Amino acid sequence: MPKLIIDDREIEVEAGTNLIEAARRLGIEIPHYCYHPALSIAGQCRLCMVDIEKTPRPTIACNTLAADGMVVRTDTERVRETRRSIMEFHLINHPLDCPVCDQAGECWLQIYYMKHGLYDPRMVDEKVHKPKAVPLGPHVILDAERCILCSRCVRFCDEITDTGELGIFNRGDHSELALFPGRDLTNNYSGNVVDICPVGALTDRDFRFQVRVWYLDTARSVCPGCARGCNIDVHVNRRRPHHAEGRRVARLKPRFNPDVNAWWMCDVGRYDQHGVVDSPGRLPVPLGRAGAAQVEVGWEEAVAAVADALRAHGPEAVAVLASPHMANEDLMALRVVLERAGVRQVAFRVPPAAPADGDDFLLRADRTPNVRGAELIGLDGDAAAILAAARAGRLRALWVFDHDLTTAGWPAAEVAEALGRVETLIYAGAVASATSARARWVLPTATWVEREGTLTNFEGRVQRFRTALEPLGRSLPAWELLGRVLAALGGTPPGPRAEHWFRALASAVPAFAGMTYRTVGDGGQMVAGAVPGGAPVPPGRRAVVGAAG
Amino acid sequence: MSAAVAFSPEQLAEVRRLQALYPDRRGALLPVLHMAQDTFGWISLDVEAYVAGLFDLSPAHVHEVVTFYTLYFRQPKGRHVVAVCHNLSCHLAGAPDILRHVRERLGIDVGETSDDGRVTLQSVECLCACEAAPMMQVDDRYELHLTPETVDRILEELR
Repeated sequence: MPKLIIDDREIEVEAGTNLIEAARRLGIEIPHYCYHPALSIAGQCRLCMVDIEKTPRPTIACNTLAADGMVVRTDTERVRETRRSIMEFHLINHPLDCPVCDQAGECWLQIYYMKHGLYDPRMVDEKVHKPKAVPLGPHVILDAERCILCSRCVRFCDEITDTGELGIFNRGDHSELALFPGRDLTNNYSGNVVDICPVGALTDRDFRFQVRVWYLDTARSVCPGCARGCNIDVHVNRRRPHHAEGRRVARLKPRFNPDVNAWWMCDVGRYDQHGVVDSPGRLPVPLGRAGAAQVEVGWEEAVAAVADALRAHGPEAVAVLASPHMANEDLMALRVVLERAGVRQVAFRVPPAAPADGDDFLLRADRTPNVRGAELIGLDGDAAAILAAARAGRLRALWVFDHDLTTAGWPAAEVAEALGRVETLIYAGAVASATSARARWVLPTATWVEREGTLTNFEGRVQRFRTALEPLGRSLPAWELLGRVLAALGGTPPGPRAEHWFRALASAVPAFAGMTYRTVGDGGQMVAGAVPGGAPVPPGRRAVVGAAG
Repeated sequence: MSAAVAFSPEQLAEVRRLQALYPDRRGALLPVLHMAQDTFGWISLDVEAYVAGLFDLSPAHVHEVVTFYTLYFRQPKGRHVVAVCHNLSCHLAGAPDILRHVRERLGIDVGETSDDGRVTLQSVECLCACEAAPMMQVDDRYELHLTPETVDRILEELR
């Protein structure tokens, strides 16, 4: 393992580590644009120059591997002057439109100009003009004037998605990032090029002009869009609610986890998941009935009624359709409630109307985040049998979580018959649906960004998601409303936080034995006996290198 | 891709021979693009996609190369290409007058092709014949020490 000295400090790194990564480990940041640890080395931006002893000129750190005995300096006057000059080059044709640029506030041109530039501009000529506000596909928009031609996005489409939509065309100061004529950036990972773009050239159409990034708050979370559970950050706009017409979730960004999703997330997760949080169909308050109409009721009334319904009819006449969208804590709380009430008919596998497909990278065919958790917690009964029991008139109370049975993969006539014959239909979920509209009691639940909890992904990795927003209206996390039902049944919830339910889970279910929120941490923890498979190899890395060189 | 864009078996053998000459077969991209231009007349997007397939590259990367260089034609070109040098030595020796004369004679501007498909006109950087300025290149040969009279004769002979 090579041992080298960077800025007078010695460090030993694995062979094959470049100087940017070696310095990073010492807490020294070598500025760079084109280098990205997931992509091949381009050496294009020239910003990562460092001085290496016995080398006549500054050298790019990205393409220099740490070698034994190397003495590197990242802070000489010559390095500083080089960075200043390179910043001046990068900004020669830059339109300086920060006031209308979404990237402002998280732009590496701004950051590095303030850190390494601060020169007096000498540019007196007309700047080169290039296409602006060009949609590249459904999610990404290009401003070619802001582009510094680092080629990260081009390499992403070659080396990660293997789709090759983008290129840098023409020459000299006419060089321009663009799509191959006739193509669109429609691959399911297109949003990632916005993340890796160090400047404002590629911005997100969904986030565009919503809110300034410095007004955003961030919470670590997990994408609920499929069974992989990509690690994400949820960015929410609480401080400027008037800027985005009440939309609170501004955007989702992938969070690095080498064992799950690496640096990436798919567009299905990024753009299709947060809509529910700010959906106009959200259920803000508990509902009961006055005649045919659904009317607002207090939680106490609703909880007491649900507890009565569970206990009044006897185990044969009560069933629960839980949901794989529920967190481990919710499912544990449900299990305890059902044990307390003596209810044994519980299932969670309601078939979707049309089975989804996975893709060749992160997205799984199972578009729910917690099937594994629901299985381990022991709620995996026969959903079709519950439907049949309801149709046969054997159920007097049915409690449905999240599912809209009327759009599920069951024949509509059978669902209608079943819902018609159940005396007390209880619905718990975040969004109104044809199922909730038929319910006697509607219990509004908080969405995943409005609460904390854990999910168990398809591999058996338990992962935490955290609270980014307050629950809408009077909605409650499912574990909390289940705790209230438990109390109404004479039981005692383990405590006032989700974590208490997780502890109850860890002591009741052997697969979770010994786990705490602390041990799960930010990287997740495998349930007992599960073997981690690691993040999948990107499609662009699977081909045999060498054929194309 | 249109069915017309395909090399003959002999040409495909030549592509493989060229690719084998380089440690990275992409090194053969330029000569193969020239072959394609000679065969198909110009480099259309279909040709780029076809060549990309021969190299297992994305069409975007072939497009990068084609747009980088000036010797690949991205529109149909005339049967002959006239390239008048406009660089320093030729300029001092009267290239602007020569170019104006050529434009008037052909009735087209730089970058255009005559209506009969006979000639495409270009204005180019130094072609390394400063000692014989002003000069132009007509297809594969140099025409040196140009005057309006010699230009007329040269253009007459192009069919």
